[in-house]
Amino acid sequence: MATGHLSTDEFLIRLATLFESRRSVNHGSVFLTQKRLSPHDLPKAATDTPLPPSSPFPDLHPPHPLPILIRATNGKSKDKRKDKIKLSTVIQADELEGFFMRYADVCKAGMSGLKKRDRSGRKAKGKAKKKKGASGGGVEGEKKG
Amino acid sequence: MPYLPTAQSFLEQSRLLISARPTTTRITTKYTLPKTSPPDPSKSKSPPPPSSEPSQPHQPQPPKATLTLKTYDPISGTCLKYETDKAAEVGRLIAALGSCGRVMAALPAKEEAVDEGAMEVDAPVKEDAEGKAKAVPKEKELKGGQGQGQHKGGEKGGGGGGGGKKKKGKK
Repeated sequence: MATGHLSTDEFLIRLATLFESRRSVNHGSVFLTQKRLSPHDLPKAATDTPLPPSSPFPDLHPPHPLPILIRATNGKSKDKRKDKIKLSTVIQADELEGFFMRYADVCKAGMSGLKKRDRSGRKAKGKAKKKKGASGGGVEGEKKG
Repeated sequence: MPYLPTAQSFLEQSRLLISARPTTTRITTKYTLPKTSPPDPSKSKSPPPPSSEPSQPHQPQPPKATLTLKTYDPISGTCLKYETDKAAEVGRLIAALGSCGRVMAALPAKEEAVDEGAMEVDAPVKEDAEGKAKAVPKEKELKGGQGQGQHKGGEKGGGGGGGGKKKKGKK
């Protein structure tokens, strides 16, 4: 993480390639983490005013919105650490909405191994219902006859 | 590490956890593609029946990837999980992560018109989690409820009428 955070655009592009690499190997994981970037995580220059512990939980109502830290890794660690890919970016509070729209698109495109919505099942069901209805009518007719 | 049964309950609980511990709670999204090649017999715990493998040509199917969401607060040790394998849920889950991000960023809760339209079930959850003390959403809830009721009634009526017509036509 010492290398610093990527810009939003760079992060999303590299995340897409990370997903793509998983797909080409057809195996592996992508880990995405989001958390608040609290003032303790910031370099000291950014927090020139020490936080007064005025309330027992000062983080519940911060005076201003805080940025969000987004991380992505391929989960390689221990003996495979040299293959590890780590990406991170910081999203300012006012950029959250736009970021998550694009983030969702990248994720939807990247997570292609998930089950697609099964429409064949619904069709089969419809057919079965029709058949049932038809047979039911037939039985009724027989009874009446 | 409990897996919650529905995405809705997971998101509801996650929002509560984040709003209680906004600084330390993190959400991890794990997308996993399992190995497609048949597992090593030496590695697998139970020996697979050798006769069934050649008879079932399941290999051409795409791998079953899974998506696991985990909300974890290391200070209290609270951990919430949800797992899915449906591609249709991804968009909604990421959008929900965005609204969780708003809570993390200490932004005021925002009414999302898109969510309400697409997933009516989501609306009450948000109000529960974010607008506890606020009385304003009540009106919305009422309106939403009425709207839903009308929709359902309409659908039911339409369906019934259609069924009747079909039957008449057949006879």
